[in-house]
Amino acid sequence: MPRSSSISVGAFCVAALLAAAQGPGTRVTYRVRVVEDGVRELARGSVSGPTGTDLRFSLRGDSAEVEALFQIVPAGGGDTMTVIAEFFTKRRLGRSRRGLGLWEQDDYRRAVRLAWGDTARVHLFGRPRPTAPRAAGLWVEIALERGFSGGEGRPAEEMQVTGAGTDIRLEAVVRPRRARVILNLVRADTVSGPRGFDLVPEAPARRVQLALAGRRTNLEITLARPEPSPSARDRVLALDADVVCLRVGAPDAPEPVGVVCGRLNDVARRLPLPGGDTLVATFAWPSGR
Amino acid sequence: MSDGHETWLKQIDAELDGELSLVERAALAKHLATCSHCAGARASQLEVRVALARSAGDPHARIVPRPTIRGRALAFWAIMALALGIAAGWMAHGRWGGPGGSLEDSRAAIVVH
Repeated sequence: MPRSSSISVGAFCVAALLAAAQGPGTRVTYRVRVVEDGVRELARGSVSGPTGTDLRFSLRGDSAEVEALFQIVPAGGGDTMTVIAEFFTKRRLGRSRRGLGLWEQDDYRRAVRLAWGDTARVHLFGRPRPTAPRAAGLWVEIALERGFSGGEGRPAEEMQVTGAGTDIRLEAVVRPRRARVILNLVRADTVSGPRGFDLVPEAPARRVQLALAGRRTNLEITLARPEPSPSARDRVLALDADVVCLRVGAPDAPEPVGVVCGRLNDVARRLPLPGGDTLVATFAWPSGR
Repeated sequence: MSDGHETWLKQIDAELDGELSLVERAALAKHLATCSHCAGARASQLEVRVALARSAGDPHARIVPRPTIRGRALAFWAIMALALGIAAGWMAHGRWGGPGGSLEDSRAAIVVH
């Protein structure tokens, strides 16, 4: 699939998910079991969160790595939905002449329509062969449930790994609908008091005024989502889901002063301003999640 | 003494294979006339060779005939090897699939239960 088409379909999915997230407080839960040969349970766990929460799954062994992002797209508002799974896989082919591992890398998408409460069985290494025993191979069972959130807005993860030798992980992926941005102005050894803003991505620009040592600085700030990553793995697994970019401009100036991007992880990021000051921006999840 | 016998036994082998010169054959004959041990060994060697010639279907051969592979036996074993290879390949394909295989077959599949 061409990259532009893939990106546009992904953007549509994100838009659909965020639109659905505006509905009443609903919580989705992915109950996951990793089963080998039908009897051996390697891991079990669950990921839950508000509507729009995705499941990032990874399984790493000596000879293969499978990473996938499962997204729920509501279908018509009824009891059915579509699960879109984006896969990024690596398989070991052998060794090079210099003894280094040779890997085959693949990324693709799967979609399946199912009802709430149904269980989807994901055969990670392909559908079993007709000649193979019925319970042979490794698969992941994902049961999808929904319920009222009861005011709980934070995502939750739970995991029990029983099989040794395989690294299995589950992660909740939530795209921020708002972000807490804290701004400081720095000039040499002087720092202005922090000013916090709750910003919504892609909302119209907001004018802010920061004061430092008697001098006032006017800025226009906009929160935006980052450009799609050039890395296929990052795009497929939405590794930049919690990354936001702050566009900073001067009022009445056509060109922006600069852009600061970062995760919502309370790490300060610096942007030099034309007047010699430095703007320090810190991104965090909004309180009350 | 033992080393001397070993040498003469090798000479007996070489003589029966027709590899000794006249001088060496004369020396061996002289030794055999005085050594009953080596004379007995030579007789044993000759009996073994007679038995081998008989088993090869040529009891009157002057030397032990070389084993030969007949055309039918060769064809039989070639067909057997081919059949075994095909059977093993078929079983391995059923168990592990072909080398590489289809890309789509190796990709994840979702089944609803």
